[in-house]
Amino acid sequence: MRFSHRGTKDSREPWFGVRRDLSAKRSSILSLVSFALPLAIWAGVSYLPFLWHPDIRLQISADREDVATVYIAGDRVSKGFFPQITSAVRDQNASIEAQWKSDDPLGGSTESAVRRSNKKILRHLAPVLISNGVIDEGQSKDDAAIYRAWKDIAEGTLDLDSPELAGENITIVQQNWKSMRSVSETYDSDNSISRPLLSLIPQGKSANPDYLPSPDQVVAAGVKIFTQPPEGDRPSMLQRVGHSMRIVFGGFFLAALIGVPVGVLCGTYSFFSKLVEPFTDFFRYMPAPTFSTLLVAIFLANDAPKIALVFVGTFFQLVLVVSNTTRRLDLPLLEAAQTLGANQMQLLMRVVIPGILPNLYNDLRILLGWAWTWLVIAELIGVKSGLTEFIETQGRFRNFDMVYPVIILIGLIGFFTDQILALLRGVVFPYTDEGSAASANPVIKALLFLPRWFKDAAEQRLPHLPDKSTHPTRA
Amino acid sequence: MKPSLPDAIDYREQSPEVQERFSRLKERPVVLSVEGLGKTFPTPGGEVTALKGVDFEVFRREFMCVIGPSGCGKSTLIRILAGLETESGGQVLLDGNPVAGPGPDRGMVFQSYTLFPWLTVKQNVMFGPKMEGKSGSSVEGEARQWIDLVGLSQFENSYPHQLSGGMKQRVAIARALANRPRILLMDEPFGALDAQTRAQMQSYLLQIWRNLDITILFITHDLDEAVFLADRILVLKANPGEVDEIIEVPVPRPRRLDQSIEPEFIATKHRINQLIHPESEGKEDTLPFARMTVEGDDVE
Repeated sequence: MRFSHRGTKDSREPWFGVRRDLSAKRSSILSLVSFALPLAIWAGVSYLPFLWHPDIRLQISADREDVATVYIAGDRVSKGFFPQITSAVRDQNASIEAQWKSDDPLGGSTESAVRRSNKKILRHLAPVLISNGVIDEGQSKDDAAIYRAWKDIAEGTLDLDSPELAGENITIVQQNWKSMRSVSETYDSDNSISRPLLSLIPQGKSANPDYLPSPDQVVAAGVKIFTQPPEGDRPSMLQRVGHSMRIVFGGFFLAALIGVPVGVLCGTYSFFSKLVEPFTDFFRYMPAPTFSTLLVAIFLANDAPKIALVFVGTFFQLVLVVSNTTRRLDLPLLEAAQTLGANQMQLLMRVVIPGILPNLYNDLRILLGWAWTWLVIAELIGVKSGLTEFIETQGRFRNFDMVYPVIILIGLIGFFTDQILALLRGVVFPYTDEGSAASANPVIKALLFLPRWFKDAAEQRLPHLPDKSTHPTRA
Repeated sequence: MKPSLPDAIDYREQSPEVQERFSRLKERPVVLSVEGLGKTFPTPGGEVTALKGVDFEVFRREFMCVIGPSGCGKSTLIRILAGLETESGGQVLLDGNPVAGPGPDRGMVFQSYTLFPWLTVKQNVMFGPKMEGKSGSSVEGEARQWIDLVGLSQFENSYPHQLSGGMKQRVAIARALANRPRILLMDEPFGALDAQTRAQMQSYLLQIWRNLDITILFITHDLDEAVFLADRILVLKANPGEVDEIIEVPVPRPRRLDQSIEPEFIATKHRINQLIHPESEGKEDTLPFARMTVEGDDVE
């Protein structure tokens, strides 16, 4: 029984006391904070530009004639590199202006090449126009509409505000428009401008690297990937979740099915302990992933090698943990049973097994968490599958906003499985301290009253009591 | 300790009634007979002799206590009697038959709590009969009677973790009795209880013993407990554990708590103390005198 502070004024209790329990209220506050804090840090880093934002996310692209690397709108460049691009573009514009005045306005280039590059320069405005709602997303190559926008901006009839066009870029638009107007007031694909145009100076907003999307992006992506139907015959997200869970639970249950009896035997009989444990102890130091190619060779593709990998990663730990738990059973309990006439078989079946069940339950909970850690590696071997395959694919395209929801989902599944199992422990084992705490819990109370069977089953789970009348009727 | 009152009376003097009780006791059949019992443990430093040539008999319905200094092998003795350890020499006879291994004919109550936590009080009490393959309502009815006997009928469906230490030990007694053992072995069963509960438990135990046809061998390190409970007290010597003396307690029955200040009670206690702590005889303080003063606390 823990010491309860009920009745004492909470405000008088210190928040920090060596080995002092905090009140239930304070504990729940802190539990909330423990989740709110990382979220707040994430949100802060995402939405407060001065906190981190080491990159510039381009709104106007930054391709230059003589540079192979093309940065288009939406790309990120570091804050250190960005001024280099802008000054390079300014230099390029300066030399174009110089060309205009020289006797070789094309700068040694052919007319068709200049036309091509001019078309590109005009289209550089498209992303800004789209985000301002001037043109639709599908119109990024609608040269007529873009041409009209250049005119409107130059003549001051179109004001952009999200994002704004920098002053120098408005000047460039006006300068370019002068050249453009001299050819045609509207876009004419047959008679495009052959005089080199000035490039827009790259513009951008400070941003975080693409591997850290903001919370709203992640939520939006999460909603999208779970609601959008999958492409073609690709599995839906729910099917992927199911597939991943099959692998984890499949491997885990297989390991438990064989490992628990082996562990109990090792913990009970020195014979099995000495026969099994030394090798098991050695084997568990060989990382399960090192067997992946072998497992694929043995079990071929599909799920079998994946389940086998989870099994290999869990089984050997499980045997040792279970045997240790079995050994920790109070020896006096076994001695008492012997003085009450229990024979060897009865000691095992009526004392050892029921005696270790609550601790065994906890062990299996911990080992289930262990099994989860093998999921990703398991899904990568052979034919990639499940949630990991999704993470892999999206990550390769740097769609990190799609990756986070899946990572978080895996965490949530593991976390809630464990929480539910922890809550159920008190129900399954009413004779432990948690059991009495659980019976006071309103949720558990409801659970207990509905399937009364559950509690009785917990008491009768031993392979005895064939006669119902020998069992006490519960008051 | 100043020798005062105990000198006035010899612990060997018995009133006629007590004499009469002992002569009747010794006419009863011997339940447990221990003959030349020895036990040695191998250790890295050589063999250690825990028990050597222990001889004694326990009569039917007798209440015998075993007491001795720490390390005298009292626990080893009772564990051998229970069959949880094997003797190195000599033998133990129960009703004339040699004992080998643990069995339900010797019930045992341990110092630590050994109720099965996953069974209710009643299921715990039914454990022994079930091990014999008995089942059905007769076993349950009997279990109820044993629980009644230790005064816990209200708790028959409680789990051990809901009981106090004293209640747990009462259930442990009921559980051991449910097998109808020939002798009840008790290894400092009240050692972990607080003084008040312990006194209560001693009275309970005497009542149970009086109401039943049961023989008890009780290990303790508490002089008062031994004198209060026992017909005879077996005093063991340490290194090696040997029988020092078997004392017939001259305190008349039924025992009451207030007898503990009567001369025969004190004389018996004094005698055991002499046997167990011979070095403390006549000595007073063993620690050097020291006085601590606190500043501002001058009392002159």
